[in-house]
Amino acid sequence: MLTASLDYSDSAAETAAIALAAIVDPKVAAARSTPYEAAMNLAFDRDSTVSVVTCLALARENARQMRDQITTEMWEQLNALYLDITGPNSRLAFDEGSSSFLHRIVAGLHLFNGAAEATMSHGEGWRFLSLGAYLERAHLIARLLDVAFDKSRPDAPDRDHLVQVSLLRMACALEPYLRVYTSDIRQAYILEFLLFDKEFPRSIRFTTARIEEHAKALSRYAEFAAAAAPERLAGRLSSLLEFTDPAELATIGAGEILRTVTAECGRIHAAIHDSFVAYPIEQRLHA
Amino acid sequence: MATGTSVAGSPERPLPAGAYIPGVAYDEMFATDGSIRGHYAALHERISELSARDLAERQRIQDQLFLLQGITFTVYGAEASTEKIIPTDLFPRIIPANEWARIEAGLIQRLTALNMFLGDIYGEQKILKDGIVSRDLVQGAPSYRREMVGLYVPHGAYVNVCGSDLIRQPDGQYAVLEDNLRVPSGVSYMLANRDASRRAFPSAYRKSGVRAVDRYPDLLLNTLRSMGSELSDHPQVVVLTPGVYNSAYFEHAYLARLMGVPLVEGRDLVVHDNCVYMKTTAGLQRVDVIYRRVDDDFLDPLHFRRDSALGAAGLFNAYRAGKVVIANAPGTGVADDKAVYAYVPQIIRYYLGEDTILPNIETFLCREASQLSHVLDNLEHLVVKAVGASGGYGMLVGPHATQAERDTFAEALRANPDNYIAQPTIQLSTAPCLIDGRIEPRHIDLRPFILAAEKTVVTPGALTRVALKRGSLVVNSSQGGGSKDTWVLSEGKTS
Repeated sequence: MLTASLDYSDSAAETAAIALAAIVDPKVAAARSTPYEAAMNLAFDRDSTVSVVTCLALARENARQMRDQITTEMWEQLNALYLDITGPNSRLAFDEGSSSFLHRIVAGLHLFNGAAEATMSHGEGWRFLSLGAYLERAHLIARLLDVAFDKSRPDAPDRDHLVQVSLLRMACALEPYLRVYTSDIRQAYILEFLLFDKEFPRSIRFTTARIEEHAKALSRYAEFAAAAAPERLAGRLSSLLEFTDPAELATIGAGEILRTVTAECGRIHAAIHDSFVAYPIEQRLHA
Repeated sequence: MATGTSVAGSPERPLPAGAYIPGVAYDEMFATDGSIRGHYAALHERISELSARDLAERQRIQDQLFLLQGITFTVYGAEASTEKIIPTDLFPRIIPANEWARIEAGLIQRLTALNMFLGDIYGEQKILKDGIVSRDLVQGAPSYRREMVGLYVPHGAYVNVCGSDLIRQPDGQYAVLEDNLRVPSGVSYMLANRDASRRAFPSAYRKSGVRAVDRYPDLLLNTLRSMGSELSDHPQVVVLTPGVYNSAYFEHAYLARLMGVPLVEGRDLVVHDNCVYMKTTAGLQRVDVIYRRVDDDFLDPLHFRRDSALGAAGLFNAYRAGKVVIANAPGTGVADDKAVYAYVPQIIRYYLGEDTILPNIETFLCREASQLSHVLDNLEHLVVKAVGASGGYGMLVGPHATQAERDTFAEALRANPDNYIAQPTIQLSTAPCLIDGRIEPRHIDLRPFILAAEKTVVTPGALTRVALKRGSLVVNSSQGGGSKDTWVLSEGKTS
C-alpha cells in the first residue's frame, strides 16, 4: 500500500516535470532527433521509463492498487488523464497542437494535486502521498540544477538567457522568480532561489522542510522506535538548507550541496521503507 | 429470428412502434399479443419519445462513465494491454413486485436450506444417514472439505454471500440454474448499472417506483460484523483480494471502499498464535472477519494448495481456533456442485418441510443407470455438463454438436457416468436491447444477491446478464456477454 503511494506520487510529479520539459525545450532531452520528435517521444514512448505515458500508466496502476485509500475525485482525475493520453486520438491531438496538448496534461496533473489536497483526509495516507511528492520534487530539482550548472560536464548546455528562462519554467518558477529578482536573470540568482527560497514550493529548502514536517507527523502514527529514523534524516537535511548561508555558495560550490540533497533523499526513502513497510514482524507483535 | 427496428434513415425521429419482433422465448417487455407489459409502461413511453440519436448519445455517455470510473477488464495482446468496459445495455430490465416477492421468498428458502445442509454434512450428517443424499456424492466431491467437519460456524451461516443464477422459462416461470455459493461476483455491476440507468432515464426511474439497491454495502458490512460479533464488540472486517490482476479486482476495491474497510492481499496478513493481523504502516492490527474473494484452494498454503501465494500461512488454523471468521466459510462449494444441485428440492423438503418455491431445471444424474440411458438416447436434445467444472468447460451442447462430437462424449459418459449431469436446452427469456442503433430482443438471465448471517436478506435488484449476440444463450462476460440494470418495483406499481 505504502510503496505504491510513494511510487505513485513520484511518477505523477516526474511526469509533470517532463511534460513541462517537453513544452519548453525538447532539445535538452534528445539532441539527435528533431525537437518535435524528441517531444513526441517524451510524451508517447511506452518503451521509455521517463515518458509521460509510461509515468501516467505507472501512476494509474499504483492508484488502482490502492484504490480503496484514495478518493474517487483523485482516481477519476488521474484516470481521465491516462485515458486522454492513451486514447485513439491522442497522437492526432499532439500533431495538431502539441503545446496545447501538453498544457492540458500539465493542467490535469495540477488538478490531481488539487483534488488530493481538497478531498482526501489529511491523515496518514495523505502524509505519505505528500512526503513522496516532496521527496521526488527535491530530488528532481537538485538533479536539474546539477545538470544545468555543473561546469565540469562537457555537455552542459549553454548558459544563455533562453536556457535559463527554460530552466525556471521547467521548475514552474519563472513568475515567482521574477517577483523576487525582477527580470534580471542570472545563474547565481537562480541557484539561490531554487535552493534557498523559503516560500517557493519547489525550492529545495521549502521541499526539505515539508519532508521533515511529514516525516515527523508520520512517526506519530507509528509508535515504535524505528519510526524515528526517517524523521532524524529529514531533520538533518532540512537544517542543512535552512542554515547554509547563500553567500557561501560560491566557496563551497552548489554541486556539493546538490549531491548531498540527492543522496539524502535516497536515504530517507530507504529509511521510510524499512520503518513502515519492510519492518520485521517480530518487533511489532507485542506493540 | 427477430428483425430489428431500423432507424438508419431517420436518426432524429423516435423509433417506430411495432417493429420490435420478439422471438419464441418469453419477452420481458412484450406480451405474446404484442401489448406492452404494464410494469414497462413508463420506460416504454420514454423510449418512444427519444430519437435514435438521443438513445445513441445516452449510450455513449454511459459507456464513457464506466470507462472513467475504471470499471473495465483487461484485454491482453496487440501493443500494450487495452482495457475494455463490459458492455452495459441502456435499457433496464424490470421486475414487478409480485414476481419479486416470489423470487425473494424462493431465494431465502433455498439459501436457508443450503446453509442447514452444509451444517449437517459438516456436522451430524443426518441427511446422509437418512439416505436422502448419497454419502459418496457429497464426500466424494472435490469441493467437500474434511477440514471443516465439526467446526463451529456463527449462526450456522456457512454461506454469507450468495449470487444465484436464475432464468425465466418460456411459460414465464423463474427457475434456478445455479447456486453460486463460493465467491460469487457481479454485485458491483448491479450498483454501477443502477447509477447509469438512473442517469439515462431519470423520469421513468421516478415514475416506475424502483426499489433502491444502494444499501447493499451497508447490509454486507452488517452481515460480516454479525459473523464476528462473538470475537469483538467492534469486529475489524477486511476484504481479501487475490490482487490487482484479478478480473474482479474492481469489485473488491469498490466494496472495500463503500464499506469503509481495508482491502488486503494475502501478503498483508500475518498469523501469530492463531490470531490474524494485517500489516499496516503503523504496525500490526488485529483482524476479526475476512470477507475473502479468494478461492478455498488458495486460502492457506499450509492446509490447501501449497504453492498458493494468495492466502496467508496459518489462516485456517486461526479459523479453526475460532480466532477469525472467514466468509464465505471454506467448503461451501460442495452445496453448489452440479450433482448436489439436483437434490436441492429434496434438501429443502428435508430441512424445512416445504415445497420448493423456485424450481430447479430438470436434471438427469448420469450416475443413476436409468437416467444415464435416457441421456444417451437423447443426446441431441440435452446439455451435458461435467460435475466439477464451471465456466462452460467440459460441456456438450447436444443440439449444436456434430454426431461425431456426441459419439465421443457418449463414450466419456459411459466411462465415467458419475462425473456428468444432463439438462434440457433451456430457452432464456428476452428483453429489448439497444444494438447498433436498433432495438432488438436479446436473451438474458438474472443474478440476485443474497446475504445471510443472523438474518437472510435479498437485495431488491440484481445483475441481469445479456447474451449480446443474436440468438445466443451464453451470457458470460468472458464470451461476449454484457449486462443491464434490473429495476425491482415497489408494491402498487405492478401491472
